[in-house]
Amino acid sequence: MSDPKIEGYEFKPGFKGMAKDTGSDQTMFKGVHWGKAMMWIFLLSDTFIFSCFLISYMKGRGSTLIDWPNPSEVFALHVGGVDVPLLLIAIMTFVLITSSGTMALAVKYGYEKNRKMCGWLILATAIGGLTFVGMQAFEWSKLIEEGVRPWENPFGAKQFGSFFFMITGFHGTHVSIGVIFLFIYAYKTFKGHYDEEKRGWFTTIKGNYVEIEILGLYWHFVDLVWVFIFAFFYLW
Amino acid sequence: MSDTKKQEQASTHKIGIYLWIWGLLFVLSFFSYLVDWYQFQGLLRWSLILLFMFLKAGLIMAFFMHLFWERYALVNVLLWPMTAIGCFIFLMVAEFEYTVFTRLFYFVVGGQ
Amino acid sequence: MSDEYENKKGYQAQSSETISSGSGGGGSGTVSDADYVRPSEVPEQDLYHGHSFITKWIFCQDAKVIGVQYFLLATFTGIIGLILSWLMRLQLGFPEAAGFMTAEHYYQFVTMHGMIMVVYFLTALFLGGFGNYLIPLMVGARDMVFPYLNMVSFWMFFIAVGVLLASFFVPGGPTGAGWTLYPPQTILEGTPGSGMGILLMCISLILFVAGFTMGGLNYLITVLQARTRGMTLMRMPLTVWGIFTATVLAMLAFPALLVGSLMMSLDKILGTSFFMPTILQAGEVLEYGGGSPILFQHLFWFFGHPEVYIVALPAFGIISDLISVHARKNIFGYRMMVWAIVVIGALSFFVWAHHMYVSGMNPWFGFFFATTTLIIAIPTAMKVYNWVLTLWRGNIRLNVVMLWCLGFIVTFVNGGITGIFLGNVTVDVPLSDTYFVIAHFHMVMGIAPLMVIMGAVYHWFPLVAGRFLDETLGKWHFWLTFLGAYSIYFPMHYLGFIGVPRRYFEMYDSPYVTSAVGMNEFISMAAFIVGAAQLILIYNIVRTLKIGKPAGHNPWQANSLEWLTPSVPPEHGNWGEKLPVVHRWPYDFSVPGAKEDFITQTTPPSEVAGTEVEKT
Repeated sequence: MSDPKIEGYEFKPGFKGMAKDTGSDQTMFKGVHWGKAMMWIFLLSDTFIFSCFLISYMKGRGSTLIDWPNPSEVFALHVGGVDVPLLLIAIMTFVLITSSGTMALAVKYGYEKNRKMCGWLILATAIGGLTFVGMQAFEWSKLIEEGVRPWENPFGAKQFGSFFFMITGFHGTHVSIGVIFLFIYAYKTFKGHYDEEKRGWFTTIKGNYVEIEILGLYWHFVDLVWVFIFAFFYLW
Repeated sequence: MSDTKKQEQASTHKIGIYLWIWGLLFVLSFFSYLVDWYQFQGLLRWSLILLFMFLKAGLIMAFFMHLFWERYALVNVLLWPMTAIGCFIFLMVAEFEYTVFTRLFYFVVGGQ
Repeated sequence: MSDEYENKKGYQAQSSETISSGSGGGGSGTVSDADYVRPSEVPEQDLYHGHSFITKWIFCQDAKVIGVQYFLLATFTGIIGLILSWLMRLQLGFPEAAGFMTAEHYYQFVTMHGMIMVVYFLTALFLGGFGNYLIPLMVGARDMVFPYLNMVSFWMFFIAVGVLLASFFVPGGPTGAGWTLYPPQTILEGTPGSGMGILLMCISLILFVAGFTMGGLNYLITVLQARTRGMTLMRMPLTVWGIFTATVLAMLAFPALLVGSLMMSLDKILGTSFFMPTILQAGEVLEYGGGSPILFQHLFWFFGHPEVYIVALPAFGIISDLISVHARKNIFGYRMMVWAIVVIGALSFFVWAHHMYVSGMNPWFGFFFATTTLIIAIPTAMKVYNWVLTLWRGNIRLNVVMLWCLGFIVTFVNGGITGIFLGNVTVDVPLSDTYFVIAHFHMVMGIAPLMVIMGAVYHWFPLVAGRFLDETLGKWHFWLTFLGAYSIYFPMHYLGFIGVPRRYFEMYDSPYVTSAVGMNEFISMAAFIVGAAQLILIYNIVRTLKIGKPAGHNPWQANSLEWLTPSVPPEHGNWGEKLPVVHRWPYDFSVPGAKEDFITQTTPPSEVAGTEVEKT
């Protein structure tokens, strides 16, 4: 990507550029849309939320004297007479990464003003997200059937159920909110709201394809969090 | 507005790079799944899990979230606060080890 | 990525040819090279102007109105907190007169007083109140960048306060677990308000965090991305720096509180055991087991310590501006001051467990946290020196604002020094949970920021309302509050040294009684007087709104942008036709060779060519 063009401002690369950007007037993040900067800072704050969750989980799991259930067995799926460890989780991971990829492409086509392609890709992302939420619901009901509750757990430490439902629940909420917005944005894209700079909902700010990127940031963040949850909750 | 045109082309990336990253993410996810499949244990398991995790996270942030192409001013603002998280993690590891120690000491050994 | 966005949005709204000197200048037609400021790159904001009473004053999107709303609501909750402290002091000083109060009541009042004052009063007032009012004006923006979100932020705060106050009226009353809400006792039977009380508290905190996040995003992006032409970060008034850094801290620290509150509510509602170990209550083993109470303490203080600086940093920033304006001297070591604010902010994330020396955490932590804690004393001391050096040989106007500033410095030094005592593990252990701690944190983050708030009210009231507050009443207000506050908290240090524990409903026949009783009575009397003295301010404000002396433009001869608006008080959109153009920092006071003793930020260099003005 090339740097944006700003009248009377000369860009410098690397850390020199960072010092110059920081020391300049008007904006620190040169050429970054307000909404995008806001989303980044929000995601930073959200990162701290998820980090606190995962740190609590680490502390809880680390300090319990009762054995922690083996996630590889708990989350195994019984397929064709054999227990395949973590099968569902693996599929969920692949679904979420797929949707992340389609989102990235949607952003690209958005900037190329390819309305149709962008819209379809957002829709594909939304459907990917919906599939993920559906599979998570399946996973939850399976565990609940097996007797895992937030307050107890037949396989070992109580905290397993608590942390599992809380962390995946919080992540699932993020995904669900994302899915809702993806559908709305797909509708708006197909309608051409971003081409004609129509005013958005609730706000007086005019719509633009940069909004797709902002939504994309959120969606990739959800994927990013899943990478950490996958590693720490399922693989540990 | 020929200027604008030129910039538009420059500002979007070739589709290839996204597909590459996409593919890499699949491969890395598959590898991290294999870690569980082959039931590696101990230090090997941990280092592999963390390696794949950070690679995946890095790829998503750098390319899908475009951080690689952003200016350093933004990148630095986003990455420095992670030191606070790092400190928190480091200290909580020490803390849970101590909690286990006290629990074993008082409840199992009997505080003698 | 957003190149075409810029091109579309007409960044050339003001091209370099149209530069004219700002409101401070004589509007000379030619522009010299020295006066060149590069053209605007920030798009002109189209604002929603309210047209009915509701959209103008209630669901308003103007940051200034939202600021005043925040200010009023925070003050209202603050007054409730004050009344609660009166009730506590009544019990401590004159237990026989407080027969209506049980021990449960006392704990509930302690808890609510703490939580209200720290979160719902000081945080909301500094960031929500002063932040909203001053940030757009001081950086030269028309409004916050997301006005709608800003409005929602206030109303979330409103609901949060509503939920908090509702807990006074539920069965069992508000929670009485102490403002730190330590589990497991918080949600166990026997603690007052362990039912609905604690739940409402958690919900209220979660709402507050959500609402604050919306506001905080606004403050940050406005400072980072919507400054006016010529306004670099190092030309911002320190007020903005303080509020900005505090907001960064809030955005990163409140998540821990949110997570803690959420997990605590789950422990309460669902019976999870995040924080609950195996507990034997009245001979029965409870359902809980295996959780870690100390985890909550870590989460809480990971929020709680930055919270201290969320309150302190805006106070540091505001006081720097007030001292500089009223001593007619540039702030000593501006860059050092900025870096001190940033360093204090960054360090505040690495010191949290100094609140937990006696909690039974890993004993090695004491060393780590004592070290980091004491390191914070360095930038803080730098700031104090710089305030004093700003006063040194300044042309001090000893008005009410300056009195509050001096009061702040003294109080802050006092509270800061006791902080060094408490930062050391070996000194902290015997002093922990005594009145010494109460005295310390009330001095450093209660009275000191309050002095700043008062000074700021006297300073900016002419801007907000267009009239001066009365000086004589102000002086009465100051001296009663200042001397009164010292009468309250100075003796508490002594009480702490003789070992009087905090949070005790009464002392019974303990050996402290003989020396503590008289002193407790004295402290309580002082507390009643100081609280009542605040009525002077309220009377002063009401009186001033009716018959105060009109202030006019820039009554303090200040330099920063908020005083340079075309109309006083500023209207929605702040700047009329044209945004101001900034040429210098806001501290050019008493420049040798200049016609007047101040040079506003909008004065172009060509107009002050013959003076010894610094290049900033």
